[in-house]
Amino acid sequence: MGRPGDTDMIGNAVIDVENVVTRFGRQTVHNGVSFSVGRAELVALIGGSGTGKSVLLREIIGLVRPSAGRIRVLGVDVAGAPAAELAAVRRRFGMMFQDGALFSSLDVAHNVAVPLFEHTDLPPESVWPLVRLRIALAGLPPETGAKMPSELSGGMRKRAAIARALALEPEVIFLDEPTSGLDPITARAFDKLMRFLVDDLGITVFLVTHDLDTLLTVVDRLIVLANGKVIGDGPVSDVMALDDPWVRSYFAVRTMGTTGSERGEHGT
Amino acid sequence: MTTTPDSSAPGDWVSVETSVPGATLFLSGEWKLGSVMRIERALRAVPGLRPVVNVHGGALTALDTAGALTLLRHLKSLAIDPATIDFEAFSPVHQRVLDLVSGRLADVTLEPAVHRRGLLAKVGRSAEDLARLVTGHLSYLGLVASGIANTVIHPRRLRLNELASQFEQVGIRAIPVVALVTFLIGVVFAYLLGLQAERYGANIFIVDGVAIGMTREFSPIIVAVIIAGRSGAAFTAQLGTMKLTEETDAIRVLGLSPMDVLILPRVVALVVALPLLVFVGDVMSNLGAMLMAAATLDLPSPTYLERLSIALTMSHFVVGLAKAPVFALFIAVIGVRMGMEVSRDTRAIGIYTTSTVVQGIVSVILLDAVFAVLFQKLGV
Repeated sequence: MGRPGDTDMIGNAVIDVENVVTRFGRQTVHNGVSFSVGRAELVALIGGSGTGKSVLLREIIGLVRPSAGRIRVLGVDVAGAPAAELAAVRRRFGMMFQDGALFSSLDVAHNVAVPLFEHTDLPPESVWPLVRLRIALAGLPPETGAKMPSELSGGMRKRAAIARALALEPEVIFLDEPTSGLDPITARAFDKLMRFLVDDLGITVFLVTHDLDTLLTVVDRLIVLANGKVIGDGPVSDVMALDDPWVRSYFAVRTMGTTGSERGEHGT
Repeated sequence: MTTTPDSSAPGDWVSVETSVPGATLFLSGEWKLGSVMRIERALRAVPGLRPVVNVHGGALTALDTAGALTLLRHLKSLAIDPATIDFEAFSPVHQRVLDLVSGRLADVTLEPAVHRRGLLAKVGRSAEDLARLVTGHLSYLGLVASGIANTVIHPRRLRLNELASQFEQVGIRAIPVVALVTFLIGVVFAYLLGLQAERYGANIFIVDGVAIGMTREFSPIIVAVIIAGRSGAAFTAQLGTMKLTEETDAIRVLGLSPMDVLILPRVVALVVALPLLVFVGDVMSNLGAMLMAAATLDLPSPTYLERLSIALTMSHFVVGLAKAPVFALFIAVIGVRMGMEVSRDTRAIGIYTTSTVVQGIVSVILLDAVFAVLFQKLGV
């Protein structure tokens, strides 16, 4: 595990977004977006609705191709790499979709097992203990494994999705609005889980979120997307001090480390 | 995680040193997910002369949760409690991973209970499910009937917009498909009958065969089967998706009734449309037969039509048309009910839609058998 901001052995950042331009028809969503993320960092991407955060996330994981610019994950150009190379780098990162995106015809254990069965040659007797470990690491009780996704609550579905994202010991995990729709207690527990992934497992975590509590308590760095560009990139306190009207009103409700009541601790 | 052929020796992963109180395992190499198989093999190859009391991790270049789990499970399999082991010289990072995994070891070693059901139990369960399904349909039929009665009593509750839109969808738009299919069946039927009739020089009786067979039996059945697939499945898919996206709940909360807004328009539209489609089928099949007969069976069209006017009595025509609304009612009620039964599971849409079509077709055939007996008794 390196120190926050470290680049990996080859000298490249873990995630490197370079001058990305995205156009849909006549609408330009991104107009020169650039930033990079290093090892074992917990970085959040924020921006107003419609600023293209989810699109950017999908571009980083290679589901959407940008109109211009380059995106590298673990050194691989996700938009341009040949299929085999892209498949190989996809085994090194995990993605948690907003509502889990679990396979509805499989129970949780089989969902978590899918990457292990598909991408390793481990026999079932080696896979199932690993699956149970992932489920436990995601903070789920062991009996969750036998449940179907439709039987789980929203928070449990997201945790199951994290368990699946962790299956292959990823170096990076992407999350799309991980705490949306969760009650405050579950949401804060989720923040702790993300911090644990970074601190204890050395995983780089990159998330898109609207959750101010996440931003103010566990995030290392914040990237602000507005008008198709990055207008802020740095530690939360630096970003909050930016002289931009949107940023000011976004954080107007809170100040660093408080939740509008009297709690003054930081979450880590 | 492609694994290269195993050219490593067990000593590459673990070696053992025994001393008086017990053995020490010296771990080395990259203990990661991709090497789990080799690590397991190496661990099994370690001689077990003395119980393990120490594990030395100084030579480890990497340790992930999979590697840690493999080690701890191996210890457990030797009936050694990891808590009694002295883990020495692990780097702080690796120690953390080890602690992480050992803290959750209890959850990992629980074997999930496996439920296996015997064949007889499965058959019994299927029979029970089928019985429940059919009784559910009957109740739903009653519900729809009471909905219709309600509309008759309060005619203003009938939503003409929805009814017209559904009628266009299930009736008008289905005409091309129905026309094409029944036309072709008329052609084929005439040809088959012609093959036999020619032998006896009885070509003219093709007309009787086609007219009576198509209008009385085949046109209603075939059109109903087409509509079961086309509209029955559509009802289930539409209503099922609306249920999943909570649109039906929104309808209720707005003070409207899903029965009035969604279900009745569909059922009534189908009941009205199917007889019309059967009529289209009657016409097109006879047309197809007539053209086939003129082309290959030496039966010119005027002759065909003359014979048709004699052979096709009103009763045959009416019998066919009378079946249509009943078929439509069953197809529509099944389709609508299966759609409304969908719950939170996205799989259900696919499963229920398939089931609707199968049930619709089977119902049509069963009803047709009932009608056959009924009309025979009535002497129609």
